[in-house]
Amino acid sequence: MPLALIDVLSDHLSEFSSGFWVTVRLVVVSFAIAMTVGTLVAALRIAPSPWLQRLGGVYVEVFRNVPLLVLLFISFAGLRRGGLDISAWVAGTASLGLYTAAYVAEALRSGVFSVGKGQIEASLSLGFTYGQTLRRIVLPQAFRTVISPLGSLTIAMIKNSAIIGVSLLALPDLLKQARIVQSRTFQTDEAFFWAAVGYLLLTGAVTLAIRNLERRFEIRR
Amino acid sequence: MQRNRWRWLCLALMGAALAVFGAGCGDDEEGGGGTPKADVKKFPAGTTLGKIQQEGVITIGVKYDVPPFGFKNPQSNKVEGFDVDLGQAVADALGVKPKFIEAVSDNRIPFLKDGTADLILSTMTINAERVGEIGFSDPYYIARGRVLVKDDSDIKGVADLAGKGVCTALGSTYEENLKKQAPKAELKLVDSYSECLELIQNGAVEAVSTDDVILTGMIIQDDSLKLVGEELTQEPYGAGIKKGDKQMVDFVNEVFSAYKQDGRWPKAYDRWVGRYTGQKAQPPTISVEEGVKLTQ
Repeated sequence: MPLALIDVLSDHLSEFSSGFWVTVRLVVVSFAIAMTVGTLVAALRIAPSPWLQRLGGVYVEVFRNVPLLVLLFISFAGLRRGGLDISAWVAGTASLGLYTAAYVAEALRSGVFSVGKGQIEASLSLGFTYGQTLRRIVLPQAFRTVISPLGSLTIAMIKNSAIIGVSLLALPDLLKQARIVQSRTFQTDEAFFWAAVGYLLLTGAVTLAIRNLERRFEIRR
Repeated sequence: MQRNRWRWLCLALMGAALAVFGAGCGDDEEGGGGTPKADVKKFPAGTTLGKIQQEGVITIGVKYDVPPFGFKNPQSNKVEGFDVDLGQAVADALGVKPKFIEAVSDNRIPFLKDGTADLILSTMTINAERVGEIGFSDPYYIARGRVLVKDDSDIKGVADLAGKGVCTALGSTYEENLKKQAPKAELKLVDSYSECLELIQNGAVEAVSTDDVILTGMIIQDDSLKLVGEELTQEPYGAGIKKGDKQMVDFVNEVFSAYKQDGRWPKAYDRWVGRYTGQKAQPPTISVEEGVKLTQ
């Protein structure tokens, strides 16, 4: 049995590695979108104007409450039928990125709210402007509290990326390639074992990076 | 007070929506304990067929989205098609009720291996790799591989597929065939043929390649599509049976050969295929081995 396990990998190394890199590319682009849009939406959510807050709220509720698979269908099949020539890559990374951005925005918002109101009032009364208060007092402390939730979100996003391959978009990501190997060799356990290892490599790397960041921004008690 | 009322209204609306959705997906499976008829052959309790007779139900994996072989009729909510008729014939011969479950190209062989389905009738081609994995009945139908494009496409056959997006099902024989016959085509491998139809309609791929009968089913749904080129392959369909179950293979072959000889086969062909293509056909009389040779 262990021999069969290694055979499946060595016979289909090109499939597994191309699938792995497709997943890496999907995850990196989606992560960039999620962080950028997430930060913008979080900024709206904590903005002084109630209208901007509401706008951010609508974004979060829409993207957090629609299943990712539905987003993928709308952004690909739906937009294409509407006449927009969107590619599977753009639809996939945009859907995963925008979906994750809603969660990122909520994590950032809760981080900002974790900084006591007294500190903000003290800072303002000492003559800092609102922007300075945010930049110098609130955000450095907020960042420390959101490292861990952002790490969990990134790991969840890596795993969610597998939905893109099995959906209508049919991008050849790690899970898709494992299924192609499975359908060709009929070696189900072996093919999915290596897919799991591939995802574990990615999530493991993220876990290590998060630990490192946490250690660096630790409060020395 | 005002606010409370709105909240109740919201809840009531949500409840109503749930009720509507709920009513839409009522019970749609036939099944349950049927009493074996007097004129059917009884099988000993220890065998697969004996067990099926004891339970009164045979579980048959069919396609749900491949007219005219196996598809779920949205009006009646029943599965219909050529494969379904054959499954019914097998169940009748056993004196049990058929329970049809959905088997897509990618999961039908695992279904047989893990016992989820007793029999697979899902437009499955008999080929050398699969013969090593599962048992097959004699071919009950021979389909031909073709290419489907939009009416205004300039693709004239398999030779023009280089650089074009081509959709077919993951785990189907076309994955390999297209790699051989059109190595430069960009394959989109999806789970079911209804996804291929969506992809060619929305323009994400330029062609779909699979069995002519499946493609004909797509043209029935969308007449802006057409078949082009010569046939790529011959695809003898066989019923899938768990590997090593000789009793079941023999029994299904018996049922099929009666079906082919007593006039039911041409009737089913006319009803499901001939009606759309205007063609007549004779049932195939080849064996599994000859079927495998056709696909090589």
